[in-house]
Amino acid sequence: MMQIRPILAALRHHKAGTLLIALQIALTLAIVCNALFIIHQRLTHLSQPTGIDEDSLLIVQNQWAGRPAPAEVPSLLAADLDTLRKIPGVTNAYPSNTFPLSNGGIAYGIGHSPDKLKFTSDTAIYFTDENTLPTLGLKLVAGRNFRADEIGEAAGLDKIAPAVIIITHELADRLFPDGSAVGKMAYISNQPSIIIGVVERLQTPYVDSAMAQWSACSTLVPFRHLVDSTAYVVRVQPGQMADVASHVRAALYAANRMRVISAKDGVQTFAQVRATAYASDRGMAILMGAISVVLLAITAAGIVGLTSFWVGQRRKQIGVRRALGATQHDILSYFLTENLLIGFAGVVIGGVLALGLNLWLMNQFEVERLEPGYVIAGVIALLLLGQGAVLAPALRASHVPPVEATRSV
Amino acid sequence: MLKMTHLSKVYRTEVVETYALRDFNIDVKEGEFVAVTGPSGSGKTTFLTIAGLLETFTGGEYHLDGIEVSQLNDNARSKIRNEKIGFIFQAFNLIPDLNVFDNVEVPLRYRGMKAPERKERIMGALDRVGLASRAKHYPAELSGGQQQRVAIARALAGSPRLLLADEPTGNLDTQMARGVLELLEEIHREGATIVMVTHDPELAARAQRNVHIIDGQVVDLAEDPRFHTAYTAAAGQIRS
Repeated sequence: MMQIRPILAALRHHKAGTLLIALQIALTLAIVCNALFIIHQRLTHLSQPTGIDEDSLLIVQNQWAGRPAPAEVPSLLAADLDTLRKIPGVTNAYPSNTFPLSNGGIAYGIGHSPDKLKFTSDTAIYFTDENTLPTLGLKLVAGRNFRADEIGEAAGLDKIAPAVIIITHELADRLFPDGSAVGKMAYISNQPSIIIGVVERLQTPYVDSAMAQWSACSTLVPFRHLVDSTAYVVRVQPGQMADVASHVRAALYAANRMRVISAKDGVQTFAQVRATAYASDRGMAILMGAISVVLLAITAAGIVGLTSFWVGQRRKQIGVRRALGATQHDILSYFLTENLLIGFAGVVIGGVLALGLNLWLMNQFEVERLEPGYVIAGVIALLLLGQGAVLAPALRASHVPPVEATRSV
Repeated sequence: MLKMTHLSKVYRTEVVETYALRDFNIDVKEGEFVAVTGPSGSGKTTFLTIAGLLETFTGGEYHLDGIEVSQLNDNARSKIRNEKIGFIFQAFNLIPDLNVFDNVEVPLRYRGMKAPERKERIMGALDRVGLASRAKHYPAELSGGQQQRVAIARALAGSPRLLLADEPTGNLDTQMARGVLELLEEIHREGATIVMVTHDPELAARAQRNVHIIDGQVVDLAEDPRFHTAYTAAAGQIRS
């Protein structure tokens, strides 16, 4: 540290190289901090638990051919459920309009008043029956499940006015923060619904970060959806997933050919559903990670290159310093300190740039405020990277022999 | 102060061994001003680099200020260079990125000296060579003679026991060379031990004692029949 003043004095004579590396460090810090923050956000997002027993679930998306009338649908659904339950390895199944992470479905406002403008929270609406809880493996934390006699039929979206509903714990807390929700009334339509049960967690179908604030606010309504497309959620015994997945399509077609089950994504394990749902998040995380790695590598290479050039350029000077009494450690320390000083300048500028870039991202995109921990971690990482990158050329410099002082250039 | 006994320095390649110094003996007493002369390739610079612990030697013994240096590690050799030896190079070897003050400060920093003492010594040494007013100048802003004076100030600032000069006037014109030489003589009169390598007979004649190196060995020109005639002629020219 005792060499700081003369190192700064010497750096004034190498402004271009110094500035270039400091700026490179600054830009790398600014971009890497924000990239890591975005990666963390995405990873947090895609690792959210859905609350369901994902490993045991298979999704079959069925489209009836010939647009059957609503009155025909219940019997078609009943036949399909019968077919599904007879497949070896299937333990349960239910039909629904949607399922977690599907990215499609119905969302309403739910509150204490029929006035739709006075809702307490957004909520995703799942059409379910008495088999939904055991099929999904949902944990009931209060109240009870639907009974078979409570399951109604709904042909259109605007007619849903369930007498009873089951909601998630998160939604119950929002609606009734001071006590139990079971037995209380809530409105998702102009008619009140009685909350008969609360499940621990059930994620909404939506993975968009814009809907993240109510991602655990789901409402189960006891209805069969009498439309021409249905998602069957099938529970499979452990170890039977591959067999069931390969047979389910053929079994349903054998029972009734008047349907379309897409060969591409008509039958999906929940693991596949999850992978598809978060493909863009994962892609963004990978892209940001790759950008960070490339930037860090370029910065490290820049430091190695410039320091190697300086060591070559100052070989005689290093020999003179050695002749005047510098130890190998002194020379090593000189170059490490020099790099640290450039690094400090870079991270100070980079810290400001990182916050500026974050503000811009906040204004332009749905990015949250950068946590200071990322800047601090980035600063430490960049300074360590700099020291690591400079180590090899600095060690080479420290091995320049003192006799170099007597050699002519 | 400086004593080499049967010292040898061999440069080895895969096919050949070259003796730069062979059975080399020299004894420089404290306070002496010795000029080491010899033709190009005789081993003068090798002697100086070994004397200044810039290089190791192959065989023999070397005592510097009473210390046998052959077994010292790199750190110990650096410490001795820093504390006991002052170097004056032909090419001055100032650090171009540092001003005069910072250049003189370099060896003192490596000694771990406190800032006030460093400053006192630097200004004292610059004053001694008549360049105190140029402390903030950079080497490129000085003449060759002034640069060499800065190098002498750098060598003096650490109060070394031994001053090693390698062709100290080799890059200077006559007037500047005279000034530098007078400075060295003055430093010697004040008690410094100086060993100066030169091929300039006039410069060598100003030293207290001359040591001549030929083919890596010290020879007595007056006694060696091979060089007696040439020596007598050269000495006559210098006297005249």
